[in-house]
Amino acid sequence: MLILHRAGFVDPPCLAPIQDKVVPGELLAIVGPNGAGKSTLLSLLSGFRTSQLGVVTLDGRTIEAWTPATLASRRALVAQQEPMGFDWSVRDMVALGSDPEPALVEQLLADLELVSLADRSVLRLSGGERQRVMVARGLCQLMARRHDGAPDGGLLLLDEPTSALDIGQQQRLMRRLRQLARQQHMAIVCVLHELNLAGTYADRVWLMEEGQRIAGGPPEEVLEPEDLARIYRAELQALARPDGGPAWLALTP
Amino acid sequence: MEVTLPGRRTLTARPSGRARVLLGLGVALLLALMWSAASGVLGLSPLALLSGQVDELGFQVWWQLRLPRLLLGVLVGAMLAGSGTAMQGLFRNPLADPTLLGLASGAGLAVAIWIVLFQGSGPVALYGQFLAGFLGALGVCVVVFGLAGRHGGSAAVFTLLLAGLAINTLAGAGGGLLAFMASDEQLRQLSLWGMGTLSHALWRATLAASVLVPPALFLLLRSARGLDLLQLGEATAHAAGLDAPRLKRHVVVATSLGVGLCVALTGIIGFLGLLVPHCLRLWLGPGHRLLLPASMLGGALLLVVADTLARTLAMPAEIPVGLLTSLLGGPYFLYLLLRRSPRC
Repeated sequence: MLILHRAGFVDPPCLAPIQDKVVPGELLAIVGPNGAGKSTLLSLLSGFRTSQLGVVTLDGRTIEAWTPATLASRRALVAQQEPMGFDWSVRDMVALGSDPEPALVEQLLADLELVSLADRSVLRLSGGERQRVMVARGLCQLMARRHDGAPDGGLLLLDEPTSALDIGQQQRLMRRLRQLARQQHMAIVCVLHELNLAGTYADRVWLMEEGQRIAGGPPEEVLEPEDLARIYRAELQALARPDGGPAWLALTP
Repeated sequence: MEVTLPGRRTLTARPSGRARVLLGLGVALLLALMWSAASGVLGLSPLALLSGQVDELGFQVWWQLRLPRLLLGVLVGAMLAGSGTAMQGLFRNPLADPTLLGLASGAGLAVAIWIVLFQGSGPVALYGQFLAGFLGALGVCVVVFGLAGRHGGSAAVFTLLLAGLAINTLAGAGGGLLAFMASDEQLRQLSLWGMGTLSHALWRATLAASVLVPPALFLLLRSARGLDLLQLGEATAHAAGLDAPRLKRHVVVATSLGVGLCVALTGIIGFLGLLVPHCLRLWLGPGHRLLLPASMLGGALLLVVADTLARTLAMPAEIPVGLLTSLLGGPYFLYLLLRRSPRC
């Protein structure tokens, strides 16, 4: 379990202190306008930047107290797209950094519909294909080391994993992530721009604005059309869902 | 750059595949060493060498001239190619190379300053030269790194190459100034040293390299897994367990030490650090756990072969080997730039 004890940053990019936790088995979405601090928050959760206010603990110890290798077996990050220097094959890229069993790599390639691309160079992939490769790599990092005696499935942090995916791929990826949270007891934190995805698949949503988390809770409470219209400075139309979940949001023409 | 060589994946993935590649390169190096030991003005047959049926003069030539030179060639070749591989991994850029980034010329300028302004004699001269080379390379490394850190992403490659160009120009001008100030004797020493040649290899220089180069190579080999992780980008690599600042420190220190020493001993031998990892990456893929040791063996192999050609092509005269590698490397580099995919 990841707990933020009034953690945040004073130096820019700043982040006002947050008191909350991320529990195994849940899919948490972070939403907010451009520059609201979503990726900054992710760097706090991953331990890439050390909290300057409170502390962040993972499974009872501050995140800095873990050795890098142990920490890597418990939390993985799928960052926004980085430029690739060299032509790794997709299969080698999925396995990079975790020395997994070949069977696990093949299973992940199949899960993320990458089997036909397995021997292709990552420099020759489309944006969406590369995004799926990096998700598979993050999952591989967590799943290859399950025998470390960790009590749960670990923590997976994803920064806009669906930004280059078509709607079918978005649906399959979000369903898969939710399933991993439920079945493998992973804690999954996902920065999303697509609010309807957050409303449909997330168990909880954190809403960010100008370096502050201004709301956190179930999607139907946080994704209030009027608040969102104000925060995003967008004209939105809210459509009620038949199942009573958070409203569908559409842009007015 | 598209690579569709069959079998590459299994080659890098299986430990036995790795071992086979390294064994093959090792055997090739051994054969090259035997050929090189036997070639020269005084032809010495490998069989006679192995069975000890060589006269006194032949033995002296072999022991005092060829053996230290061969060893120095192996060490310098391995160091330059290994540094090139590590720098390319560190900058996540296939164009990084100790010569292009100005590391070698920075070391060269520092050595020239030492020769002209502080020249001692005997061992002081030699070790002062090493220290100057190391400090020169380290200084350039720190500058280049600072620049690369400030301009992330796609700007980095241009910044790096321009920084290298600036440093190379500056070092060239500094070298010119020093040559202008130098006495006749110093001038002769400068020009002999600066051509990039293994011809001053005597046991004293070779022993110094044998003590300092292997630890630098070892440090680079230990960085292989970290260099692989770094390809994911710093944030992801950190989450995958990499201590990036430590990795950078190791690579910068090992590269500066190794390249500085090589430059102090042999002058600037260009393009080895670019050429070898590039060719091997096409064959073996980008994983550093195989690429680094393979590059070291490949660099040693290429330098031993090039040096033997340099010694024998224009016998009894000798072409500086740096000239030969630059003649080989320059066109290859242009070819790379021409066919490089715009994405990388």
